[in-house]
Amino acid sequence: MKAMLKTWIVTAETYLRQIKSWSFFFMVIGPFLMLGLTVGISYVSANSASSSQEIAVVGTNATLRRNFIAQHPTDVNAKVTTVAAAKKALKANHLAGYLVLTTRQHQLRADYHGNKALSKGVQAQVQNYLTTTQQAVNDQDAKLSAKQRALLQRTPQLKQHIAAGTGTANLAKTISFWLIVTMIYIILITYASITAQEIASEKGTKIMEIIFSSTTATSYFVGKITGILLVIITQIVIYLLGGWAFYAWALSRPHLHALIGQYQALINGVLHNLLNLNLVYLFIGVVLFTLLAAYSGALVAKAEDASKAAQPVVMLGMVGFFATFPFQNNLDALPVKIMSYIPFLSSYFMPMRIINGTVGLGTQWLSLVIALVTVALLSWGIGHQYQRLMLQTDSENIWQHLFRRHRA
Amino acid sequence: MLSIQHIRKRFGDVQALNDVSFDVPDGQILGLIGQNGAGKSTTFHSILNFITYQGSITWQDHAFTAQDFDRIGYLPEERSLMAKLTIEQQIVYLARLKGQSAKVIRPQIDDWLARFAVKGTRKSKISSLSKGNQQKVQLICTLIHQPDLLILDEPFSGLDPVNADLLKRAILDAKQRGAAIIFSSHDMENVTELCDQLVMLRTGNVVLHGTLQEVRNQFGKTELFVTTDWSAQRLANLPGVAQVTPRQPGQFRLHLSDPAAGPAIFASLTNGHYIEEFSQQPPTLDEIFRMKVGEGHA
Repeated sequence: MKAMLKTWIVTAETYLRQIKSWSFFFMVIGPFLMLGLTVGISYVSANSASSSQEIAVVGTNATLRRNFIAQHPTDVNAKVTTVAAAKKALKANHLAGYLVLTTRQHQLRADYHGNKALSKGVQAQVQNYLTTTQQAVNDQDAKLSAKQRALLQRTPQLKQHIAAGTGTANLAKTISFWLIVTMIYIILITYASITAQEIASEKGTKIMEIIFSSTTATSYFVGKITGILLVIITQIVIYLLGGWAFYAWALSRPHLHALIGQYQALINGVLHNLLNLNLVYLFIGVVLFTLLAAYSGALVAKAEDASKAAQPVVMLGMVGFFATFPFQNNLDALPVKIMSYIPFLSSYFMPMRIINGTVGLGTQWLSLVIALVTVALLSWGIGHQYQRLMLQTDSENIWQHLFRRHRA
Repeated sequence: MLSIQHIRKRFGDVQALNDVSFDVPDGQILGLIGQNGAGKSTTFHSILNFITYQGSITWQDHAFTAQDFDRIGYLPEERSLMAKLTIEQQIVYLARLKGQSAKVIRPQIDDWLARFAVKGTRKSKISSLSKGNQQKVQLICTLIHQPDLLILDEPFSGLDPVNADLLKRAILDAKQRGAAIIFSSHDMENVTELCDQLVMLRTGNVVLHGTLQEVRNQFGKTELFVTTDWSAQRLANLPGVAQVTPRQPGQFRLHLSDPAAGPAIFASLTNGHYIEEFSQQPPTLDEIFRMKVGEGHA
């Protein structure tokens, strides 16, 4: 009971110190700032560039011009009505170009003048408008009957027959896969360094002797790791709340509400893929890598080596991350099956298989039990050695520490 | 009572401790002296279970367990605190790890800061304190939970005489309330002043053990302090005088080859007349320390 209380004292101290630090604040706020900055820059850029991106439509046939502008109000500066005014505006860089629409003997013609070619979209709009209008003029000139006109308008048909829901489900799998793999990777990269630094910064300091004269090394180690895991959970909860707040805000906006409604099946599919055993895998994976990072931190000779100590853990994480790439479309391959049982790698590969639906529940649990046993063994092993590792202040490097026999 | 019986510790080819035994009864202070590398810190680390060892260390007649942690106050040789915390946070954190309630500790902090004349308030960051003040905060962390066993590794190192006196008073207060105290020091004056008994280690072996007087008496009363109008040369010619060292004009220190020569020297010097000073004593602890270290190098 007393040991448990001391573990919580260490947990609270570690957690509060990390949470109150500026580095945590910037780590949490960073993605939001980046998102806001990107949206802001895009908005400003879109607004400032809009006038010079517009084209003018001029010509002798007022109806032809008016109909085009009515059909395509965006991208067109309707205030410019004459060729002279268009030329002047183009020279002043207030227009991207101008389109001159003319008719000669019932033949429509469009001439575009600008510094650059028309964009593909606007070009297609112009071409489509001219084709439809020319067709109407032709029909009138040919004096065809309604039946003949209908016959001429007949076109071949291409229709795709996709099983209901499959397309969305596949997209949901892809998105779910990237989300989970990226989440593990980002959390791992971020917190491996923080954990190693946190542990290594205490190494070589005599405060550890005072602490180990107050509580057991195992109790302290468990408290420390729990504190760091709580920081990770706090960050995830902040992001989940942020996501939920954004979702609620988006639903209150009519145009975004319609967009969400359009992709509701996809969103539900992704959430279904994430909010299952995969979330447990995500957490176990983070715990495993955090433990390994702590061990690396405890192995360094001095605090300045902390960044080096995190490297093997980061490398292992990268191996897992990049190893998933070749197998995204071949989830039945033998290496995928093997790696979905190996602790550290299973955090990446088993979620892949679960998302793809190619693995039974028994297999999922077996892999999970292996990962949990590894967590337990790793915790016990590190906790057991922790005091010896932390109180050593010699200049032995990681490998010497690893392979040195413990001499009592 | 802290009881250390026949402990041995080897680091590779080096025998760090070799059959070390001593007891520290409750309410007593034991000074552990010895050169650097003699085994003082290794002894402390053995008591605190930081390292494995052969032999037996017991506290109140049982082996140390995690349950005893709360009753120990330990000050390591090098000072170290958590720089980002405030004085209050640091003291409360370490006291809570010693099983104390923050509610009990917080009201005491100002008194302890005043007692050790710490320059700073409870809200001052550790990193903003001078080295000396950090050392005093660390001493407060060691003492504030009123431990029954105090282990102080070089507690006086780096303290000026005024602060050393504050620490001495705190150590004597702890003794007064019945704590068993063991500390190491290179300053024999502090050991002489505070300790009920002392242990000297040399390359892991106990070479001296006993009360201060017992240890000094082992070496015989070979030091003679006199004030006389005799010249140094004349004093050196007296039987049994091995060496004469002038202290002040007319004041000499005589090292005797045989303590039994004292009465005859007294008779010669006084010749039935009054002399201002004639004091025959055993060697000081400082001299004994040097002698013992010298023996090790011989």
